[in-house]
Amino acid sequence: MAGVAFYATSLAILACIYGIIVTGLNVQWGFAGILNFGVAAFVAIGAYTYGLVTLGPPPAGSNESYILGLQAPFLIGLLAAAVAGGVTSWLLGAVALRRVRSDYLAITTLAFSQIVWVIAGNETWLVNGWDGLAGIPRPFNEVLELSYGTYDLFFLALCLVVLAAVTAMAEVMLRAPFGRILRGVREDALIVASFGRNATSLRLRAFVTGSVMASIGGALLAAYVGAFNPSAFLAGETFVVWTALLIGGPGNTLGALLGAIVVPVVLTEGTRFLPHVTTNSQFIEALRYFTIGVVLILVLRFRPQGLLPERPRTHERAPWSSRWRGGARNERSGGNPPHA
Amino acid sequence: MLEVRGISKRFGGNVALDRCSFMVEEHASVGLIGPNGAGKTTAADLISGILPVDDGQIIFKGRPIQNRPLWRVARQGVTRTFQVSRELKALTVMENMLVGSQLQSVEGVWPTLFAVSRIRAAERTAVRRAFELLELFQLDRVANELAGNLSVGQKRVLELARALMAEPGLLILDEPLAGLSPTTSRNIADFVESMRARGVTLLIIEHNLTMIERLCERVIVLAQGRVLAEGTMREIRGLPEVIDAYLGPVA
Repeated sequence: MAGVAFYATSLAILACIYGIIVTGLNVQWGFAGILNFGVAAFVAIGAYTYGLVTLGPPPAGSNESYILGLQAPFLIGLLAAAVAGGVTSWLLGAVALRRVRSDYLAITTLAFSQIVWVIAGNETWLVNGWDGLAGIPRPFNEVLELSYGTYDLFFLALCLVVLAAVTAMAEVMLRAPFGRILRGVREDALIVASFGRNATSLRLRAFVTGSVMASIGGALLAAYVGAFNPSAFLAGETFVVWTALLIGGPGNTLGALLGAIVVPVVLTEGTRFLPHVTTNSQFIEALRYFTIGVVLILVLRFRPQGLLPERPRTHERAPWSSRWRGGARNERSGGNPPHA
Repeated sequence: MLEVRGISKRFGGNVALDRCSFMVEEHASVGLIGPNGAGKTTAADLISGILPVDDGQIIFKGRPIQNRPLWRVARQGVTRTFQVSRELKALTVMENMLVGSQLQSVEGVWPTLFAVSRIRAAERTAVRRAFELLELFQLDRVANELAGNLSVGQKRVLELARALMAEPGLLILDEPLAGLSPTTSRNIADFVESMRARGVTLLIIEHNLTMIERLCERVIVLAQGRVLAEGTMREIRGLPEVIDAYLGPVA
């Protein structure tokens, strides 16, 4: 039974981390219509930064080599990951988002992702090349001194707190004038610009916000797994995050979370329990992507808005707050013709 | 208010506007007419900042605005509508109105997280104003409907109402009546008339000359990128060069 609970906890942690990353993409694509095909790169930037900041310096005499090694605490690592994701996405977006057309950014982010992957693998001095970082400390482990299984529950709680914060931020953004204008940019950037908004700047802000979220997810991933190397962020990872968002419901905060549960957890992990019908070890792995692909096609065909579609805010004639502010409304709309 | 000084625009070898000059006074309602390809929409694109000019100057409220980004020109107070309605389909009618509203100062990450009460106050004022305009334009019943679900006529009305939300100094209407039935056209014309009554400065591009006569005190005739004639509709009607431009030269 302990094994099952342990496994369930690890799935829940995975769902939380994916939830954070998918929410980041939701801010970019679901809110602002930005085609970011480099999600995996920002996850990796967060993961590596977290590792480099929390690990100690490479032990003398080992063949490991990486920069920094600051042995900083968890929160510093998380903050550093967020900053690293923010700065790199700002630099990338400032160049690629100048054009209104979204496909420029799609190509650029895809290329960026590949560049990050190649650099991380080949520049051995930077993040220890293809072997990657290992032994990344688990946050608060030495303070708490919990058993392995109990520690995972603690880590799940930690992930839930971060997920709640990220989701709350996305939801607040979506309901605020900022989210509305981002959806406007998504629908027609020219119209938004013709009403005095700098669409490029708005897109850049959404792009950076989403990338910061992806990097925070990456940091938690590195902290949980304890290791990170280039094989952890192949282009396929970006595809999984995209599928999760499209199936869950772009533009809907809970949809992003639902997608994060359905795709990376249920569909990818669920195939683990299929009976081994062939001796081919590649079969199950291939079946995972196959299943995700089929589900994606079915959702796009029969429910293109995702399982939980976007829900625009409704506005009432008398805002709730004017009811208790009493006279204010009458005073202002007291028969005067509106001024143009 | 608006002074266009010798603007030119070429698309490849095609000269869309050729040293074109005209003025629009404050609170005036000026018609811009001419055959297809005369350069009317190009003029609107240059004034509103969608396209850069090749040559010439556009002065708005005493400042040059040519070759400035669209959103900066819009902030100076130039608003325009488009020939084909460009409502934000997945946003509600009310949300479209609020996009028209000047809420830039609360649309950012920081105000979203740290200036909640300021946002609420700004929103409340904007929503109230939007409802007033929607009521005036008879769209208040569909305020929470997705704009993409409106009829063609309603979309055009929304386009006008949204433009008014921006409290424009100059409002350029690009063929507000194109493709509408006579009844809907008359409705829209009534709305434009009410804008005029509120003192909005208007530059109206339109093929329906009866409506232009009703809505504009002065008319500028463009043909092949040049200003052909200027005056009241009555003055212009009889001019042989205007008849030539519209109907082809009389043999």
